[in-house]
Amino acid sequence: MMCKSKKKKDSKHETNFMNSSSAFPDEVLERVLSMVKSRKDRSSVSLVCKEWYNAERWSRKNVFIGNCYSVTPEILTRRFPNIRSVTLKGKPRFSDFNLVPANWGADIHPWLVVFAEKYPFLEELKLKRMFVTDESLEFLAFSFPNFKALSLLSCDGFSTDGLAAVATYCKNLTELDIQENGIDDKNGNWLSCFPESFTSLEVLNFANLNNDVNFDALEKLVGRCKSLKTLKVNKSITLEQLQRLLVRAPQLCELGTGSFSQELTCQQHSELKRAFNNCKSLHTLSGLWVASTQYLEVLYPACTNLTFLNFSYAPLDSEDLSKLLVHCPNLRRLWVVDTVEDKGLEAVGTYCPLLEELRVFPADPFDEGVAHGVTESGFIAVSEGCRKLHYVLYFCRQMTNAAVATVVQNCPDFTHFRLCIMTPGQPDYLTDEPMDEAFGAVVKNCTKLQRLAVSGSLTDLTFEYIGRHAKNLETLSVAFAGSSDWGMQCVLYGCPKLRKLEIRDSPFGNAALFSGLGKYESMRSLWMSDCKVTMNGCRFVAQERPRLNVEVINEEGGDDSRAERVYIYRSVAGPRRDAPPFVLTL
Amino acid sequence: METLEQTQSSSSSSSSIDSNKYSNCCRNRTDLSTDLKLGLSISPSSPSQLPFNSTTPREETFAWPPVNKSVLRRNIIVEKQNHIHHQRSLFVKVYMEGIPIGRKLNLLEHHNYDGLVQALCHMFKTIILSPNSQPLNSWNFHVLTYEDQEGDWMMVGDVPWEMFLSSVKRLKITRANSC
Repeated sequence: MMCKSKKKKDSKHETNFMNSSSAFPDEVLERVLSMVKSRKDRSSVSLVCKEWYNAERWSRKNVFIGNCYSVTPEILTRRFPNIRSVTLKGKPRFSDFNLVPANWGADIHPWLVVFAEKYPFLEELKLKRMFVTDESLEFLAFSFPNFKALSLLSCDGFSTDGLAAVATYCKNLTELDIQENGIDDKNGNWLSCFPESFTSLEVLNFANLNNDVNFDALEKLVGRCKSLKTLKVNKSITLEQLQRLLVRAPQLCELGTGSFSQELTCQQHSELKRAFNNCKSLHTLSGLWVASTQYLEVLYPACTNLTFLNFSYAPLDSEDLSKLLVHCPNLRRLWVVDTVEDKGLEAVGTYCPLLEELRVFPADPFDEGVAHGVTESGFIAVSEGCRKLHYVLYFCRQMTNAAVATVVQNCPDFTHFRLCIMTPGQPDYLTDEPMDEAFGAVVKNCTKLQRLAVSGSLTDLTFEYIGRHAKNLETLSVAFAGSSDWGMQCVLYGCPKLRKLEIRDSPFGNAALFSGLGKYESMRSLWMSDCKVTMNGCRFVAQERPRLNVEVINEEGGDDSRAERVYIYRSVAGPRRDAPPFVLTL
Repeated sequence: METLEQTQSSSSSSSSIDSNKYSNCCRNRTDLSTDLKLGLSISPSSPSQLPFNSTTPREETFAWPPVNKSVLRRNIIVEKQNHIHHQRSLFVKVYMEGIPIGRKLNLLEHHNYDGLVQALCHMFKTIILSPNSQPLNSWNFHVLTYEDQEGDWMMVGDVPWEMFLSSVKRLKITRANSC
């Protein structure tokens, strides 16, 4: 150790053991730091000193980019030379609801071109809300010989031809996860493109696609991929075919079934039940689609170890759900359609005491008055039985302040609270008052709250509460709410950890916008659409904060002074060079 | 503001649109017209309680509630299911132009337009141009049309399959050159 001699020379300096000629070689430092997995920790590590910054950048293997326009691929590859896994998110979240016009951007291709040169050993790519073409997928398949895992969520621009290229040329593929994309589903032939010699698949999810795949090819693929852990098939797969797949892959941990509604003989029925019985490792179940009651019981033997049940595509009624949940005591996460109604949610409260996450989706969001759905009583029932609940997404047509207050008293550990009362601006249906107290109760009781989505009739008081109490809040979604600029100001001044703020159809204008000037650079992004912000207001922000990109999307023929859709985000990449004509960068 | 995340879904374009290049524009417009078609209209209990009164009610409810396209597709399935009480059949009448006696076909036995067209070609022993193909020399070929809930006759294949199922009343196979 060289420390001793150094100390004699520089006895006045107390921190000399930290200098560059210390006996802690870079290689060792890199090795140690490679064990640091968390992104936040790695960020902290890189800020300690130059040596640690370098050791961290050389040892980093995965990178997460929450906004693809916040950095360029050149800057990324310059800092991190050894990346094996990239996660990229593109369009603003409101693009899911058609609030972002098509051809907005977030094209993966320029990234792939740079990666092909700088990261030839790239193994994993996870994309969300990116634009991906078939050409890009082909390019990917040819450029990265070690490529292993591809995950596409809410992306668009590609067709099944692109998938065929991936299946054909990615010899080491372990994961192909295609979820909820705007995909041009031409046919099911892509699945037959996996070569006969190909055996490495561990995750296959094509539940998103409609067309029939060649079942023979699928069966053989499943049979020869002994490490297959996740298999989510599409609607075209029948119960009989499912049974044959399960027989070949009893080691599955996650299963997405096909349509659950074929006519089965007694023998087929018992064979199916036996097949499920043999799947001892199953912890996640999804699919079902058109589920016939009489076949749900074949699932029962597999239910004991289930921790995640995704029935968001299976419109079950309360009775079917109850009968099933009796067998699922270990459930941690449950996604259902509101056809299960309050009675179904009562069953959840009764049979699933370990539940941590509940999502209730609307069967019929646009047709008011016809569907029943769930109400405040179902919400209360779940909170009474499931005290460990920390994530909720709840679509309903009526709610009361008192009910929400009860729920958060029962379950104070919420980290994600997303309540969507489906009629905009709807008050407490019993008292006719705004829903301010409901969300006030949420932020007062749930000190760990990270994500909040509000709805119903809300005044500035809601935002005062949020600003005063929600000190851990990172993401806030607002629609048809607030009375004045003051509301938004409360949030901007009061929530130190705020990273993402998305607002639509609320009366916040330039004054509110300006009050966040000191904050936007510490956030990922701000979205405001159909508010009261003007072009001049946006120009002012752009002027004052050159390190922010201030983008306005204006429909043609609109008022030139109003800024209809504003997207503000921090970036080291400078203004976009690929912006389409309807995106104005100020 | 809620969304449907990480769920399975059916694709957003199992039907027509130009086969050359996946057209984002078309899809976006289709979804907008779908939203409007579904009669999105605001009906708050008391308009004055709406904190922010927009002068254009249509735009107010545009893209609301925050459920995305895949959910829309699922809803149609659910609607259909509720409507037919978990039955596994949806029989519709099918006529071919020039033949007075019609047939009946169970639409739920098929998962997409290709399956349907194939079955009909078989049933009627004719060539029915699939929704995606370009009619070339079409004087002796047929195309498939349907009557929707509003009584209009429409070309089969323009809307997603599940939406078609919920709006179709009956089918007609007509000569390609009469469309």
